[in-house]
Amino acid sequence: MYMPDYEYHAPGNLAEACALLGELGGKVTVLAGGSDVLHKMKIGSLAPDHLVSLKNLKELREIRYEQGRGVVIGALVTHDGIYRSQLLQEHFLSLPMAAHTMANTQITNIGTIGGNIVNGSPLADLPPILVALGASVKLVGRSGERVLPLEEFIVGPGKTVIAQDEILTEIVIPDQATTGSTYKKFGLRKSGALAVVSVAAAVTVEGGTITDARIVLGAVAPVPLRAKSAEASLKGKKVSDAAIEEAAAAAAADSRPISDLRGSDEYRRELVRVFTKRALRKAIDEGHV
Amino acid sequence: MSEYAVLGKRLPRVDGPVKAAGTARFTDDLSLPGMLYGKILRSPHAHARIVRIDTTRAENHPGVRAVIVGEDFGDYRYGLRADTRDEYPLARGKVRYLGEEVAAVAAVDEETALEALNLIQVEYEVLSAVTDPEEALREGAPQLHDDKPGNISVHMKTSFGDVDDAFRQADYIREDRFYSQSVLHGFLEPNAALALWEAPNRITIWASKQSPYFLYRNLSNCFNVPLSNVRLIQPYIGGGFGGKNGGYPVDFCAVMLSKKTGRPVKIVLTMEEVLSSHRRRHPMIVRLKTGVKKDGTILAHDCRIIADGGAGTGVGPSTIANAFYFLNLPYVVPNVRYEAFRVYTNRPISVAQRGNGIQQIRYAADVQLEMIAHDLGLDPVQIRQKNAVYTGYRTASGMNIHSCGLQETITEAVKAAEWETHYRPWQEKEKEPLGRIATGVGIACNSFQSGARLTGHNCCTAVIKVHEDGTASLLTGSTDSGQGSETVLAMIVAEVLGTRLEDVFVPQTDSTVTPVDPGSFGSRVSSTAGNAVLIAAQDARSQLLPVAAELLKAAPEDIEFRDRKVLVRGAPDRVLRFRDLTRQTVAWGSGTSIIGQGSWGQTVPPMNFETGEGDASGAYSFGTQAAWVEVDTQTGKVTVPRMVVAHDLGFALNPLAVEGQHEGSIAGGVGHTIYEHCVEENGQNLTPNLTAYGLPTVYDLPEEMVSLSIETIDPVGAFGAKESGEGTQVSTIPAIVNAIHNAIGVWITDLPVTPEKVLKALRDRKAQDRATEGGQP
Repeated sequence: MYMPDYEYHAPGNLAEACALLGELGGKVTVLAGGSDVLHKMKIGSLAPDHLVSLKNLKELREIRYEQGRGVVIGALVTHDGIYRSQLLQEHFLSLPMAAHTMANTQITNIGTIGGNIVNGSPLADLPPILVALGASVKLVGRSGERVLPLEEFIVGPGKTVIAQDEILTEIVIPDQATTGSTYKKFGLRKSGALAVVSVAAAVTVEGGTITDARIVLGAVAPVPLRAKSAEASLKGKKVSDAAIEEAAAAAAADSRPISDLRGSDEYRRELVRVFTKRALRKAIDEGHV
Repeated sequence: MSEYAVLGKRLPRVDGPVKAAGTARFTDDLSLPGMLYGKILRSPHAHARIVRIDTTRAENHPGVRAVIVGEDFGDYRYGLRADTRDEYPLARGKVRYLGEEVAAVAAVDEETALEALNLIQVEYEVLSAVTDPEEALREGAPQLHDDKPGNISVHMKTSFGDVDDAFRQADYIREDRFYSQSVLHGFLEPNAALALWEAPNRITIWASKQSPYFLYRNLSNCFNVPLSNVRLIQPYIGGGFGGKNGGYPVDFCAVMLSKKTGRPVKIVLTMEEVLSSHRRRHPMIVRLKTGVKKDGTILAHDCRIIADGGAGTGVGPSTIANAFYFLNLPYVVPNVRYEAFRVYTNRPISVAQRGNGIQQIRYAADVQLEMIAHDLGLDPVQIRQKNAVYTGYRTASGMNIHSCGLQETITEAVKAAEWETHYRPWQEKEKEPLGRIATGVGIACNSFQSGARLTGHNCCTAVIKVHEDGTASLLTGSTDSGQGSETVLAMIVAEVLGTRLEDVFVPQTDSTVTPVDPGSFGSRVSSTAGNAVLIAAQDARSQLLPVAAELLKAAPEDIEFRDRKVLVRGAPDRVLRFRDLTRQTVAWGSGTSIIGQGSWGQTVPPMNFETGEGDASGAYSFGTQAAWVEVDTQTGKVTVPRMVVAHDLGFALNPLAVEGQHEGSIAGGVGHTIYEHCVEENGQNLTPNLTAYGLPTVYDLPEEMVSLSIETIDPVGAFGAKESGEGTQVSTIPAIVNAIHNAIGVWITDLPVTPEKVLKALRDRKAQDRATEGGQP
């Protein structure tokens, strides 16, 4: 539980930061809020030679709406910042609520949305709802920038496609055709608990018919998992308990949970069914909540 | 209503402001010039022979000042009694649990000490481990201690009345198995010690201890120094709950490292160390057979317990005896048989924890009583009223009840829980479909010792120094580990001297200055130390009285001390300020010092660890708790939105402090019932942090907690007071478990009540119902 030695850098702007990441040899880790990185260093699972702090990149602390792009969230916005955002509360209430309840105040005050994503944890609270809303991420490196769907960004537990010289700068939630979305998490405590299972859903309902649905499962696969057969089962169906029930069963079948301290695979699969049902019902009936 | 000026008032704690402001100094806040930092090397195996330890590289590491191993302490072992001394400051020959202390290092800073730990080379021969107490009892199981064959740490077998005959007379008999899991004390200040050895043989130690005089004796024996040379100073304590009673390796190692280096040494455990390897509550398997008459009258209990003791005995004999004593209360049990095995396993050592053995037995007995009521179609409240003990009752085993408000606590709890409105028997609900959220209410009763009567030194002593300005210092060895006793004891002084709470200062325990004391365990401080303080205050008052009589020209018996004044009854014009009296008194004649002294101990014989015959305490508290639960029938998640505590505490010395205790009991009980669990698997601790371990946060506790005090004015306790901080946690578990049954019709006999277990139990019940409907057995 003691920090190993490392060299600390705090570049003044994004360009400097990318340049530095490209130049530094050895193991380099980007430091945002530190709630994951510093913990990993203390328990010995991460021992970088260099820590590059993004604390001076003030422009990444903003949330704004951009015509044509959607809601743009700077990667350094803290969980508390997500929670307090009027814009997000109005349009995608479940995202601020997920940020608010994921951890205790000390953590929500320092942890960032970018860190929550780059950490690549299949248990993380923010990625499922962001994937359901079709969010994309912007990566900036020495040789330019690229934008890709968040869904393609996380590829395994703790694994993403980010390159050593790249920094995740923005998360963009595009303008929605969807009519409703929500995020449901089951933890063993009301606050500060890791998800046993989580389900995010975004639906498009037109005239009582479900024309599109995205269902994303957390904590039951190596990555936030699209429940594709559940999504397919809903398309073109009239809203009904039977349709939701069928999709929930399909989502349970799509999930690939493991057994651990927090629950057996069997229990988790059952929870996927229950929470898919609840999430779909809420998103269909109540809009973006 | 009360004739008291200070007692019975809702006064905020005297240590509240410094703790809230963060200026209270705990052990880790202290440092001394030249201080070194200590760290402890722990065993990576649950059971292994230590073949060789090579400390050379660690000793040669720059900045390291000393490295110690088990041999440095010679053959010193410690424990509650001569025949149970099975713990070493550092392992000798063998390690018996994951995380057991093997070596310790003192270095110029923490980082260097940690580096040095990695340089200590220990060669282990791994032995097969046994972590299940039932397996540990089987023939051929790995043996932990050579001198304790069969892995039996404590065995108790006893019987009162004619149990076999009682079962023949019974109309209905039930036999069930209950399991209470491994839970921790949950204090937020990790164990810590700062020690200074001064040659040739003086020890000063600042350590986080709720019962500092255990360690004072331990250190005297371990280091062969006279007690007069052991100075144990108690800083503020961040909670104890039974986990800071005795001496632990952290204390012995800090002293030994200081002795070796000649410099002060501080060791503060990490939370991870506490969660992985420090002491915890006894997990217990309770097999209980109970016979009743048709109307629910209890005729007999036959109880067999297997307690997981972990690798050492600790205070285990008291845990095992307590479980027996409180099989006899709070209900009338005319015949009782009991056999308990406390078994060694390759797990961290089990000790006392808030309720010490009584939680586990009352969980079993009170849930089983609810099962019996359900089976016989009896009302859960009435079956408790019918069986409740009463003032003047003597248990089959010889415990004497001098004051008992159990019936009133049942009445009050039921009223506060709006039982009439919310309770419907499960038989009635059973026929209706279960909603997504099912609700239920449950109750359970408790009893507890108001001051455990142990062997050896048992009494509390107080010394009160009255200063010339009318203020007083109370010297007591009874430690405030966070329960608020400092405030309550100071209130007693202020009451007797007719001053105010802020006029009394209670310095923390310092073994060179404060009188020796058994410690803050077994709910003994308010009642036992309270009586000692009362006597000491009266002694001080009696020294002031003759001077007052002379100054006021009144008979001593007419003089009253109240609100910083000295008054003459019936003569309102004759008044003296208390501070003037104290000034006059110290200067009286050739001068004097006002020092009051008092000692008081339980007068009953010591607890009998062999047969359990006789009293466990001079007084017993009684209480009832009601829980309201909501069960999500789709996920199995149980929440407790509301809980009521109604407790016969004799007299509420400080109602605000009582409320704090009641709410704390609910927090501890809800945690034990639903959330907390220490899990080790394949030599790995899976719950080394508070998140994984599952300590509930404030959000997980009942939103509404109702605290009710029933005053019965006990003849033994100070001002009639009995305990109100441990008994109150005894009935939390069964009240919740009974409420769960009332909500969804399943019995949870295996703690904790995880959502997964509840959901499975619900499914099993439904499957069984369907099978029964289909005509299958």
